[in-house]
Amino acid sequence: MTNNRRNFCIIAHIDHGKSTLADRILELSGLVGVNGSEQVLDGMELERERGITIKSSPIRIPYRAANGEEYILNLIDTPGHVDFNYEVSRSLRACEGAILLVDATQGVQAQTVANAYRAIDAGLEIIPVINKIDMPAAMIDDCCLQFDDILGIAVDAALTISAKKGTGVPELLEDIITKVPPPQGNQDAPLKSLIFDSQYDPYRGVIMHVRVFSGSIKAGDRIMLKSNGKTYEVEEVGYFGLRLMPCEILAAGEVGYVSAMVRTVADINVGDTIVSPDLPQTEAISGFRRSQPVVFCGLYPTDSNDYVKLRVALEKLQLNDSSIVFEKESSAALGNGFRVGFLGMLHMDITLERLRREYEQELIATLPSVVYKVTTTKGQMLHIDNPSKFPTPQEIEHIEEPMVRAHLMTPTEFVGPCMELAKSKRGIMIAMEHPDQRRTLFTFDFPLAEIIVDFHDRLKSTTKGYASMDYEMAAYHAADLVKVDILINGDPVDALSYVCVRQGAPARGRALIAKLRELIPRQQFRVPLQAAIGGNIVAREDIPAIRKDVLAKCYGGDVTRKRKLLEKQKEGKKRMKMVGSVEVPQEAFFSLLKVDQ
Amino acid sequence: MTTGLYVHLPFCASKCSYCDFYSVPGRLDLVDAYVRALLKEVRQYAGLPFTTLYLGGGTPSLIGPDGLRKLMKGLRRTANVSALQEATLEVNPESASAEFFQAALDNGFGRVSIGVQTMVDTELRSVGRAHTALQGAEAVMRASALGFSSISVDLIAGLPGQNQQSLRRSLDGLLSLHIDHLSLYCLSLEPGTPLADQPPANLPSENKQADMFQMARDMLAAAGFEHYEISNFARSGHQCVHNLNYWRGGDYAGLGASASSHLQGRRYKNLSDLQAYMRRPAAAIESSEELGAGTKAAEEAMLRLRLIQEGLDVGDLAARFGHDRIQCLSDRLSSLARENALIFDGTSYRLHPSRVLTSNPILAAVLEEA
Repeated sequence: MTNNRRNFCIIAHIDHGKSTLADRILELSGLVGVNGSEQVLDGMELERERGITIKSSPIRIPYRAANGEEYILNLIDTPGHVDFNYEVSRSLRACEGAILLVDATQGVQAQTVANAYRAIDAGLEIIPVINKIDMPAAMIDDCCLQFDDILGIAVDAALTISAKKGTGVPELLEDIITKVPPPQGNQDAPLKSLIFDSQYDPYRGVIMHVRVFSGSIKAGDRIMLKSNGKTYEVEEVGYFGLRLMPCEILAAGEVGYVSAMVRTVADINVGDTIVSPDLPQTEAISGFRRSQPVVFCGLYPTDSNDYVKLRVALEKLQLNDSSIVFEKESSAALGNGFRVGFLGMLHMDITLERLRREYEQELIATLPSVVYKVTTTKGQMLHIDNPSKFPTPQEIEHIEEPMVRAHLMTPTEFVGPCMELAKSKRGIMIAMEHPDQRRTLFTFDFPLAEIIVDFHDRLKSTTKGYASMDYEMAAYHAADLVKVDILINGDPVDALSYVCVRQGAPARGRALIAKLRELIPRQQFRVPLQAAIGGNIVAREDIPAIRKDVLAKCYGGDVTRKRKLLEKQKEGKKRMKMVGSVEVPQEAFFSLLKVDQ
Repeated sequence: MTTGLYVHLPFCASKCSYCDFYSVPGRLDLVDAYVRALLKEVRQYAGLPFTTLYLGGGTPSLIGPDGLRKLMKGLRRTANVSALQEATLEVNPESASAEFFQAALDNGFGRVSIGVQTMVDTELRSVGRAHTALQGAEAVMRASALGFSSISVDLIAGLPGQNQQSLRRSLDGLLSLHIDHLSLYCLSLEPGTPLADQPPANLPSENKQADMFQMARDMLAAAGFEHYEISNFARSGHQCVHNLNYWRGGDYAGLGASASSHLQGRRYKNLSDLQAYMRRPAAAIESSEELGAGTKAAEEAMLRLRLIQEGLDVGDLAARFGHDRIQCLSDRLSSLARENALIFDGTSYRLHPSRVLTSNPILAAVLEEA
């Protein structure tokens, strides 16, 4: 029976047409009408706007092949961004094959490379596909060469398609049938099933997205999670239609969902293995790790009365995105808020945007920070995700910071600027390859802290948008870092503290102070701004007191206009946060991001 | 009780580069028709006894002696202006002829407000004023010679190229003439005006502007002028009754395009469109709003605080609006007094003298919703 199943995914760089291809496949299968809703699998408004998939969603597609046989295809959509690489790797594990989709006008990009390697490592059958062949700038031959040279995938004749127009998609479906092997697995063996994703349903709790490798699951079964030993009774199993479709049993080789009335989102971890509580020794599927937030920022309601509202919003958000972690945090400057951890900068951006949009929260986000390992002179090792919690310089023995290994692909003409950028971001070059005459593939090690701030934007502007990058977390590395404190009106503002490399810290402090001087409006009194390292002031600027803020004329008694002008001014104040007696605009807390270094 | 009548005459010779009031350069051909429209609009106030009259603009003096006579004759016939305490006429130096002044005096205007702005020709030119400093001085002297009982001049602090010395010269010049009242405005860049669109490089900074204002305030105090409103200075007995009525939250009717009215708890504003106004002068209302008691009280507080000597008598406010209605307002006032933004003497609140030029945040706080 599993001979007629194919489990596959599509891996591609951002904007190379993954979601459009998925739409065409769904149309061809008859699952959705032609020109129905665009990008069926990208459920969130934000995903459509940004053209990326944040929340992957699988779908089962019935398909009648040219040979007349009925097949079931499970398309497991994968998140398309570097922050979700772990999630991608788990989704890949649930498949036997991967469509490697490349935009013919852009060729193989860094993310294509990274994901292709992951798919190859996971033992998947790779089907290279060249998309957007209808575009005038399509370079089909170049793409074929790149498959071979960069990825080591020998391509006799890569499939060429236009996902937009549907050209070549029927042939691709046939290739999936013939090239991707059917899932293996013994239905009678002990249960072993991979959780590759989950979603939250307010009535049914956490719904696990699973791939069964051996044995089977049906309603009424008891299951156990390998990572934490928790057991549950299965309430329902089913597969992914356009909605969740209940079925009797999920057997080895199948992809579907399991609902077991799990209320605690944190209990279900992507990558975990479901086994039978009767056979707890069943080996786990390798590669599991708890998703680890690597970027943290403080989130504070602009109006301190909204603290509870913000907590409720974060709790709700966490139900659908268990990779977000948060805990209460108090800032002397900003009051009560939360320290929130994310998988990366994009994840952070999107989460903040969702909070603002879906929960209508006015938020102040502080500068993002990585997690530092600080060894104190007393021999204690502290994990510090908030610069304001740094011990004093005297108490610090040494500091380690998280590193990433990054693959950076750029047209060769931008090699110089890329190397300069990397150098300014403390990058260490590991390798430099030339997959073809026009392009260079760098491997760099970077401190994560350097690339979460503005690296991506700078890379894009340095290379006119042509370079692409992918990275994964690497080990911690010792570094000579200092905490810089910012003082407004003589008081240190904890929410503005940041950590940076000792060399150049004063210059950076000056730049930040200059930026803050632009952002903070003049007050009724002179406001000194200072940057300090371990008590030494390294930069200072004063915001002069406001001298004139007055409505002079009252011609013809137009009092309404006068009132409106004053009310408008008042509105502006609502976007300010009182720090001591100084009104500070929200964006000031993020201003280090905008400082050119 | 004061009930004011304001008449807006939107005509001017040319538009000054800082001006964002409604006016139409040229088009003097429309004066007759416009005056007829004003007289139609005023009919609705037939029973209302006005105590002050103010002819503003634009440049009211552009309507000439005949226009003025026609307008006043019509007003006397249609509206109740028989018991005016004060009648003010705005004039610009370039059209302040003796003949026009005489027509004004003959028609009951005892007060003139002359748009001198500065006594430095380069500064006048920098904002497109249509007269010279000499014409300004002559207008003041002429008004004084003809016997107006109260002469006011407008002055601007912060004109392009202006500095403390040049403002001092302007003030010295004006104080040597006979004036009773002076309005001193800080130049503000109003969005949409040529000055705001292309601010000249020699525009004095905010700091310099504030310094100029303070210097002028000191000079006027030394010359015996009381600083009675944020922008207004007067010798004893020469405060502008018509304008005081605005700042005390009183009633007034405004006639003409873009004019505002405040009558029986309702504010109106006429359309800023000469043609539309002339087509239906009594129904050319652009906006109107009924003020709730809370809003009315807060608005009155905001206005009265502009009167920097008289201030806001909270007991009087409570007596008229009710203690409960003004409780929140009263709390806000006392908290502003704790912050030293206001001064409370046990009866009235007044702006702290150091906050006159930075009064907006205080007045905005006073307006806060209950």
